[in-house]
Amino acid sequence: MYVKLLPEKKDIFQSFCNYCRILKNVRIKAKIISFSLLVLFLVFDISVNIQDGYAQNQLDISGTVTEQETGQPLTGVTIVVVGTDRGTTTDLQGRYSLTVPDGDGVLRFSFIGFESQEIPIEGRRTIDVEMEPSVLLGDELVVTGYSEQQRRDFTGSIAVVEMDNFERLSASGDLVTKQLQGTASGVTVTSSGQPGEAPNIRIRGINTFGDNTPLYIVDGVSIENIDDLNPNDIESIQVLKDASSAAVYGARAANGVIVVTTKKGKGKVQLNYSGSVGVDWQGRDNPWDIATPQQHADLLWIATDRVNNPRPHPLYGDGTSPVLPDFIAPVGAMEGEVDLDSYFVIPEFNDPAQLNDFVRITRANKEGTDWFSELFSEELQQAHNISVSGGSAIGNYLFSVNFTDQKGTLMRTGRERYNFRANTSFNIGENIRIGENLTYSITENPQVASLTEGSAIGMAFRQQPIIPVFDIQGNFGGAFGAPLGNAFNPVGIMERTRNNEQEDRRLIGNVFGEIDLSEKIVARTSFGGELVNTTGQFFQFPTFENQENDVTNVLTVNDTNAFNWTFNTTVKYTDTYNKHDYEVLVGTEIFKNSFTFNGATADGFFSFDENFVNLSNASGNRNTSGFEFQNTLASFFGRLDYSFDDKYLLSATVRHDGSSRFSKGNRWGTFPSGSVGWRISSEPFFQDFNLDFVNEFRIKTSVGLIGNEQNVPTSNQFTLFASDRGSSFYAIDGSNSGTQEGFLLSQIGNPNAQWEEVLNVNVGFVTSLFANRVDVDFEWYWKDVRDLLFNPELPGTAGSATAPFVNIANMRNTGIDVTLSSSHNISQDLQINGGINFTSFNNEITKVAEGVSSFSQESRRFVGQNFVRNEVGQPVSSFFGFVVDGFFQDQAEIDQLNAGAPSGEYQTEAGVGRFRFRDVNGDGEITADDRTFIGDPNADFTMGINLGANYKNWDLNMFWFTSQGNDIWNQVRWWTDFFPSFNGAKSTRTLTDAFVPGADNSNATLPIQENVGTFSTNGSPSSFFVEDGSYWRLKNVTLGYTVPQSFQDRFGIGNLRVFVQLNNMLTITDYTGPDPEIGFFPGGGGGGSTNFGIDEGQFPTPKQFIFGVNLSIL
Amino acid sequence: MFIKKTKYKLLSVLTVVSGLLLLYGCDEFLTEPARGSLSEQVLANEQGVNSQLIGAYAKLDGGGWDVPGLPWEKSQHNWIYGDIVAGDAHKGSNAGDQAPINSIQRGNSDPSIGFFDSKWQSLFEGVTRANAVLGVLQQVEDLSPEEINSLAAEARFLRGHYYFELRKMFFRVPWIDENTEDVNQPNDEEIWPNIEADFQFAFDNLPEVQSERARVNKWAAGAYLGKTFAYQQKWGEAKSIFDQVITSGVTAEGVPYDLAENYWDAFDPAAEAGNPEKVFFASQVANDGTGDITRANHGAMLNFPFNSPFRCCGFFQATQDLVNSYRTEDGLPIIGNFNNESVVSDQGIPSDELFEPYDGTLDPRLDWTVGRRGVPFHDWGPHPGERWVRDQLFSGPYAPKKKVYWQSQEDEFADNNQWAPGTAHDINVIRFADVLLMAAEAEIEAGSIDQAREYVNRVRERAARPDGRVSNDLNREFAAAIVGSQDEMLDLEGLNSGNFVVREDLNSTFTFLGGNVGDINNWNEYPEPNYEINTYPPGSLGSQQQAREIVWHERRIELALEGHRFFDLVRWGIADREINRAWQFEATVFPNTLAPGATFTPGKNEYYPIPQRQIDLSVAGGEAQLQQNPGF
Repeated sequence: MYVKLLPEKKDIFQSFCNYCRILKNVRIKAKIISFSLLVLFLVFDISVNIQDGYAQNQLDISGTVTEQETGQPLTGVTIVVVGTDRGTTTDLQGRYSLTVPDGDGVLRFSFIGFESQEIPIEGRRTIDVEMEPSVLLGDELVVTGYSEQQRRDFTGSIAVVEMDNFERLSASGDLVTKQLQGTASGVTVTSSGQPGEAPNIRIRGINTFGDNTPLYIVDGVSIENIDDLNPNDIESIQVLKDASSAAVYGARAANGVIVVTTKKGKGKVQLNYSGSVGVDWQGRDNPWDIATPQQHADLLWIATDRVNNPRPHPLYGDGTSPVLPDFIAPVGAMEGEVDLDSYFVIPEFNDPAQLNDFVRITRANKEGTDWFSELFSEELQQAHNISVSGGSAIGNYLFSVNFTDQKGTLMRTGRERYNFRANTSFNIGENIRIGENLTYSITENPQVASLTEGSAIGMAFRQQPIIPVFDIQGNFGGAFGAPLGNAFNPVGIMERTRNNEQEDRRLIGNVFGEIDLSEKIVARTSFGGELVNTTGQFFQFPTFENQENDVTNVLTVNDTNAFNWTFNTTVKYTDTYNKHDYEVLVGTEIFKNSFTFNGATADGFFSFDENFVNLSNASGNRNTSGFEFQNTLASFFGRLDYSFDDKYLLSATVRHDGSSRFSKGNRWGTFPSGSVGWRISSEPFFQDFNLDFVNEFRIKTSVGLIGNEQNVPTSNQFTLFASDRGSSFYAIDGSNSGTQEGFLLSQIGNPNAQWEEVLNVNVGFVTSLFANRVDVDFEWYWKDVRDLLFNPELPGTAGSATAPFVNIANMRNTGIDVTLSSSHNISQDLQINGGINFTSFNNEITKVAEGVSSFSQESRRFVGQNFVRNEVGQPVSSFFGFVVDGFFQDQAEIDQLNAGAPSGEYQTEAGVGRFRFRDVNGDGEITADDRTFIGDPNADFTMGINLGANYKNWDLNMFWFTSQGNDIWNQVRWWTDFFPSFNGAKSTRTLTDAFVPGADNSNATLPIQENVGTFSTNGSPSSFFVEDGSYWRLKNVTLGYTVPQSFQDRFGIGNLRVFVQLNNMLTITDYTGPDPEIGFFPGGGGGGSTNFGIDEGQFPTPKQFIFGVNLSIL
Repeated sequence: MFIKKTKYKLLSVLTVVSGLLLLYGCDEFLTEPARGSLSEQVLANEQGVNSQLIGAYAKLDGGGWDVPGLPWEKSQHNWIYGDIVAGDAHKGSNAGDQAPINSIQRGNSDPSIGFFDSKWQSLFEGVTRANAVLGVLQQVEDLSPEEINSLAAEARFLRGHYYFELRKMFFRVPWIDENTEDVNQPNDEEIWPNIEADFQFAFDNLPEVQSERARVNKWAAGAYLGKTFAYQQKWGEAKSIFDQVITSGVTAEGVPYDLAENYWDAFDPAAEAGNPEKVFFASQVANDGTGDITRANHGAMLNFPFNSPFRCCGFFQATQDLVNSYRTEDGLPIIGNFNNESVVSDQGIPSDELFEPYDGTLDPRLDWTVGRRGVPFHDWGPHPGERWVRDQLFSGPYAPKKKVYWQSQEDEFADNNQWAPGTAHDINVIRFADVLLMAAEAEIEAGSIDQAREYVNRVRERAARPDGRVSNDLNREFAAAIVGSQDEMLDLEGLNSGNFVVREDLNSTFTFLGGNVGDINNWNEYPEPNYEINTYPPGSLGSQQQAREIVWHERRIELALEGHRFFDLVRWGIADREINRAWQFEATVFPNTLAPGATFTPGKNEYYPIPQRQIDLSVAGGEAQLQQNPGF
């Protein structure tokens, strides 16, 4: 059920008088704008309202349409003479006038969001109508693909995002897609705390080994992603989940469809402003529990056996206990031993040889540098949105401007976006409507790669704390020359991105025309698409402070252009015959997508001044690269919706798609689906049950087939040769400096690939209970993905050419989606409401390839030993490795096990205090066959819970999100919990929780700390790295106050609400890392569709405080 | 109906337009070509074949990102599979770095270790490229049969090489050639005959001289054919072909085969053109304009001293056992007993503390092979010891040298476009010294031990050339100063710790350790090493078995750290004895390295395991086509 969040406009509130002057100012400007617009529309009005003369025996009718509750006039209400094509719409004052053939007809008044009414004319000349808002579940319209349908008659599976909730969450300034987390059942969203980082969205589980991104339809046009939409422009978001609802989108709907409709203007000219300012902060210090410099030295002494056997160490002396030096460069020097004047560093050097001349002087940070806190800080953010909208009988318009400035809590990240929108539509005469929806956005979004060891976040848990951020002269400090590991200075990494620029410019929109061929037939055509242009410029500075320095300076310039368009035409026939209601829709669609990438790198710059550095000024290497592709689709489709007596519902869809990604013979696919519903509560016998508290109960089921072509490139059909300077060029002349062109087999083609198919079954019921105060929507589904396109690795004997995609794998998802909502009026002044969106799925791979039962990924630092395995019978991205059964307590234990092992050795490199792995297959020794499934990153279920209360002018809301039963592979611990895992930062656990020979080790969780990496410690993927990632998060608490009506009236304000918001204030989890929400970052590291849930430095979700204002002026 | 005519017109136009677009679309609209690539037909001509042939050469170094795996996993240097495993070198760096090498070094070569899969795939990519040339040659029309044969011979030579590498590493190898339709073939047949056939065809059809010097020629094929015989102990056939190669062989440039004048010339990128020692090599380039080092000894990028002008990464550190094997007595190697005394190292001595280098007699080739403290590290000055070593305790004090560029050649032959260096040094697969010593083996087996002695002496004579030794003069070019007396040295100003000064009066080099320049105790003197090397006098090779041991030792020290040792030990049947001996000794000298516990298990470790991944991928009809090697 939809619940009104905002209380009605009430009393005046004096304290806001301070703002009166400002508001008045805005109001004046708004009036000027609206006046100009009115003039514009007047011109249109005159030009299109030239009507034919009236016939003689006709009747003129006029009247006013108002909203029942408030008495406000309603603009844009459609009035049709039933049985004719005569009709009109109400104007700004809610007035209409209409000529009817005679006085015996019936007028139908309809308006989105209100109950339609049919009123007999009965000879009257004036008919005033009060419209009643439709509040019952299912009475709103849902967009179901090329048309709209009443939700109560909808037999497919759809999740309608509750827009009040969405708007509230959108105040965080984050991407639209991020707000879907927990707000729509069946939709799983995981993301990170990085502004602009696209979240990972899955609808009803995982459908393919490739791209699981749903199809986004905005105002009828498919686009790549909806992240650049302005959330304030969005009228509704609906998620089409099963075959029956999605199949009309055919080819690209296998991953589900997210349908976004943007706002249209209506009624009087209205100026809206909404704005927010806020602050983001991490609220975490040293989240990886990194030890102090002294503890690091102590650990070194233990692990290298210096406690009993002192040997000189360049930094910490040669005693039985280590002594922290005053300087790390010169290595281990003490105060007074260093000639500070000898310091010589040119931080921006351009001759690699200079690196050898530098004299670095870096003081030890004995307190310890908290690299996390050096990277992250509090940052301000703000968002402003202005829109002007209105509508009349001749059409409607909405213009908006949005500015969002969301600074990342990690330095030099953030998102700055400008967004413009113009939505207009015109009624040309009585039966033709044309219009356009257009949005343009400009985004700058510097991001850091996360979840990978080489990123600044990765370096923050790898760089030893004794290293200071800066050396004695304020240049970057690092491990150069000292035995302190090969990590980079993370602040240096980020500071050196300062000359980078990246800008995305995206134009999305369509133009459409709609014509009523008769009262029953509507034809519509739309042409639209998106144009995306991305330019980027990245400069690599040389480094001098680290152990492994990049000595070159390189400029990389990228330019991508993506353009796709969709052209579709539909004809819809609607009719009613006795108790039969039916609608038939047929249509065609063509789609074309093209992408071009051009890139260049150049190096050897004389100066690194950002105004100097460009492609012309490079003195060294210059390289270019290019890439392009195109693909096309053509489709025919049809749909029938039928209901009998409002009780028996039926829908059938068929779509015939052709795709350029397949060769000629396999190009076309046909995908049918059907669904039925039964409104049991309308049956006479239902009354016999005496279930008075049940207002509505209907069951529905659907079966259908959807195709998927997204996972194959167009080139898959062809066997191709290519040349590559890095791997097929050769100095055949023996030169020491130049190569000649050679070719290699780059791709093995498969002309036989065809459509992936998803067979989809959905069963569910919908019910409204207790006078429509409780609504429940329950669905169970079963999805069988067949002929899944996968490019299984070929035997090495085939060479390294790209293996073709073949229709070979299968996968299955089953799950339950539940939506539950309730509201209750406790008293006149107090309403409470709540809602739950429950999402669960079970994913199981049912086939990988002929003779192959699995493929594996992700070795990270377990070189060559992948720990993510996708295997038949398991969910995707399952974690795979040895099970740790404690530690080898003493040599006797090892000897005993060896004695029982067939090979004489129980476990490779077994040792006291090292992990003892479980002999899973019981053969008496540990081999590769003892690896097993040790974790699953897929959640058992996720759930969003919304709780709200309105009291007089106050509204309070709380939104919780939980994910339960998902495991995380904590790869960070490979770095921090094992001494030999490079010479980097270690956790305090290595001192407090590690196995110590001879001590009481009953509470030990880490193996012995020793200076050797072994198979039995950090050399093997094991259950040590798997943690439970379940969590509860209080995502949002909002307190709002709506200024009373009297105040608003007095100052000509339509509506004024102020609010404060706290986001992500509380996270309850047992996970030891900073943030249990592990998304993936498509740009680097992270993982993908079949390898996720791996934490190697997540950008943690920040906490957030926001103050905001919503204001509208009529 | 009530529709006005204009609206009908509009509708008709819309319908017609969209309908036409769709009709047109069904065929034309849905046909999209692949962009940025070529089809095989385009390459079926002389130029296309040549381009593909160059592609087949391009895999010789094992580099390139087209095959998964990091460069060193698949590199033709074989420094992991040929040298470290044999006990000639430690992995180096520190314990956590490239941890799978730890297991390989210790003899724990698990089939799941990804390194083997990378190497396997890289070599089969080479095979695939050679097969692609042979395949397209069947389609070309603009070439004469002779030209086709010559190009086919080049391709078959390369294929023979890739299979040779596969056979010596992986033992059981499936055979795929240009006529094989299903690449999933079993590995149940010996492929030596096929390799022989490829080299024989190459020997019969290749020209002696090629227009480009990095191409293979007839004599390279002959040498490789001999090597193939030697690996099968077909000594008679080996001797016969080696005789021809040694007497008549020329390089692709037409230069008669011989040893280059000085030992380092075999490695010097400046001496590559016209070099008589070049039999077969992978040509490498520095600064090819890509800004990447995939063509610049990518697989050796880790093998430079750490924390040095080379920046990274401190891998591939020689063992004490290898260093000791260069000790001489009366100028001759101490066969079998060289560890009775150790070459003194600076293990445990910080770079700013005094170190007194070893003064026993040594073979001069040691200091072209291994970097050690106090000895000129090419022209970079005396190796400073511990400062240039990442974790001395873990990996010993030594540095590799044969692929390290000189400071004077840095601009030309070093490629500093990546985080670790690339270089232009060719990768020698077969150099003439290698041929001579294999021929010596063949002579011993034929009973002509004196002929073997002559071959060995030819190699030793070159090594003994006084002009070809590491000397104090190497330090002169980049010394902080060249002085004639101690007073002059102690008066120098502006020195930093680590600067070095050439002393002409003593023919030695002094490195300043820091502190007061005027105090002689702050200076470390490094005299020239004590080289003594002679040839074997007539009759001194002893019995046939003694002679074998002498040639085996000579191969070790002549070709050390060039990727041969392990494969030689296996074919000689002494891998068990030598490798276990080396690690047991090493464990006594450097107990904190990986040496303790490193073993060679006979019956298993002679070969590397067939990559588990490849066995998994070979399953057809429920059964794996590839069989694992014995012992795994």
